[in-house]
Amino acid sequence: MEGIAAQSWQAFVVCISAVFTQNVLLSYFLGMCSFLAVSRQVKAAMGLGAAVTFVMVSTCLLNWIIYYHVLVPMGLEYFRLIIFIIVIAAFVQFVEMVIERYSPVLYQTLGIFLPLITVNCAILGAGLFMLIRQYSFIVTIGYSLGSGLGWWLAILAMAGIRQKLAVSRIPAGLQGPGIALLIAGMMALGFIGFTGVLAG
Amino acid sequence: MSPRTKQNRSMKLIQDGLWRNNPIFVQVLGICSTLAVTNLVLNTVVMCVALVWTVAMSSLTVSLLRNYTPRNVRMMVETLIIAFYVILVDQGLKAYWPEMSENLGAYVGLIITNCIVMGRTEAYGMNNPPAGAFIDGAFNALGYSFVLLIIAIVREALGMGTLLGYQLPFFSSQYWDKWIIMVMPPGAFFMLAMVTWMFKSMQIRLGSQGVKK
Amino acid sequence: MKDKPWYPVLYMFIVTAAFSSVVIGVGAVTHDRVLANERLAFEKSVVYALALAPGRRLGNSEIHEMFARRVKEPTNATAGAYYIEEGGQIAAYAIPIEGRGFWDQIKGVVGVGADMRTVTGIYFYQQHETPGLGAEITRHEFRDQFTGLRLSTIGKAVNIRRPGTTLGPGEVHAVTGATQTSTRLELLMNEDLEDWQQRMGVRGGEQ
Repeated sequence: MEGIAAQSWQAFVVCISAVFTQNVLLSYFLGMCSFLAVSRQVKAAMGLGAAVTFVMVSTCLLNWIIYYHVLVPMGLEYFRLIIFIIVIAAFVQFVEMVIERYSPVLYQTLGIFLPLITVNCAILGAGLFMLIRQYSFIVTIGYSLGSGLGWWLAILAMAGIRQKLAVSRIPAGLQGPGIALLIAGMMALGFIGFTGVLAG
Repeated sequence: MSPRTKQNRSMKLIQDGLWRNNPIFVQVLGICSTLAVTNLVLNTVVMCVALVWTVAMSSLTVSLLRNYTPRNVRMMVETLIIAFYVILVDQGLKAYWPEMSENLGAYVGLIITNCIVMGRTEAYGMNNPPAGAFIDGAFNALGYSFVLLIIAIVREALGMGTLLGYQLPFFSSQYWDKWIIMVMPPGAFFMLAMVTWMFKSMQIRLGSQGVKK
Repeated sequence: MKDKPWYPVLYMFIVTAAFSSVVIGVGAVTHDRVLANERLAFEKSVVYALALAPGRRLGNSEIHEMFARRVKEPTNATAGAYYIEEGGQIAAYAIPIEGRGFWDQIKGVVGVGADMRTVTGIYFYQQHETPGLGAEITRHEFRDQFTGLRLSTIGKAVNIRRPGTTLGPGEVHAVTGATQTSTRLELLMNEDLEDWQQRMGVRGGEQ
């Protein structure tokens, strides 16, 4: 296991790459459902993006600990799928309760998004990818943060574009999901331009 | 229920799943997990089979248990059942088709969060008899699959000149410059947008003429 | 009975136990197979990288048998490389290489002869690069370039150059259009190969 310094650098590199060059949504197609549904207004996108980032970092780290310190010692790796989704659902439920109790204002703005987050494939996906790539704990911090921010960036950009597009004439068959996917494709194409930014 | 009405009910479920309520261009659900593997037709076929299996069996199981499941734990039970079937597929692939498991990577596990699976079990499986639940689940997943297969066929043919790994006559020759964009993520988005546009326009056209309601 | 307060808890418990047992059962049955598959992928790479059966495609049991019969586990003297012997002498080394490709981890094996310089072959057993582009590194057109290649002991062990350039010793052509994968591959190969050369004491000698 490499030293803390090397891991921190790797965490930083992974974070940047998860935001730009290998954006969790535009390159790996994760989190599409809520992305297509909620990306019509910037305000909603801001709220959902923040919530997703928070849940993603927390649950990825929680799941990392559970996987390597509970499932692996017990030889139950294949249980990870169900354990991870339970952890995510429970965590979201817990956060919802806490927010409702301590900040009704925040609950008003954010509360409706929380159930949406549980089924956001990006969160479970990030957890599964961190295992496949065998990231250490420190690198997972960078990776989950980058994934969340990257998803947030994508949905924010999409919302900005769609808000402007609301006053344009779009063919009937293309309205709604069609045009959103077209825009997503162009964004994905644009993000490929970031490739090679970090050579290491 | 008379056999005739049962048959009509089944036909309606089939039509809804495949066309009227198509998960992709009508419901716009569940795109995440499979779009990533549509650059190769074989991978898409395997993913779609896995999805049909998961949705149909989960819906069936949820339906069988629906009279015993208390309302307030039903989402947890649904999640458990869905995860159960997905784990079976995941382990099965790892054990008996490791190359495919490698190719599909994390996306098999992501079937759990695929909105269609949860959507159908909650919307239909929880409140209807097993036979109908199975059909509804299976044909929703099939409606999803045929759209993805179209995308995959176009992506693999135009992007790599092959189909199921076999070289195609024109697309593999020197006269066709492979469209690299088709094997990369933007290609998937563009193809899905095109297919959605095509089918939705068809639906609008047919709907306004009153041929298919 | 459904409206009794303890019912949901009991129900969840039973349902969870029932489904979990089936999963655990399936897991136990498939566990050995899954491990064997992973092991086989690695053994296949070693067998092909060392060119133990040149030109032939081997079946899984043949690979396993050949690996068990001929390949020796790494020792301190071989610095982490697997090796084969002929007539009591080490005939070739199999160096595992691993690192981040463009999309994901690339894992493979580089076979090197007894002179610790000439490559006998390379083989990859894990990669997730773009099909038709980066993934072409697994095709024999790319890998065959390495057979007979002479690794350098000063500077980069192996050089992956753009297609179309004239090659010097220790250099191969990259896959057309797969710049990122090729760059990463060169990096990860050299990292592991140079490290091995260093530990075997052959770094820094003549070309």
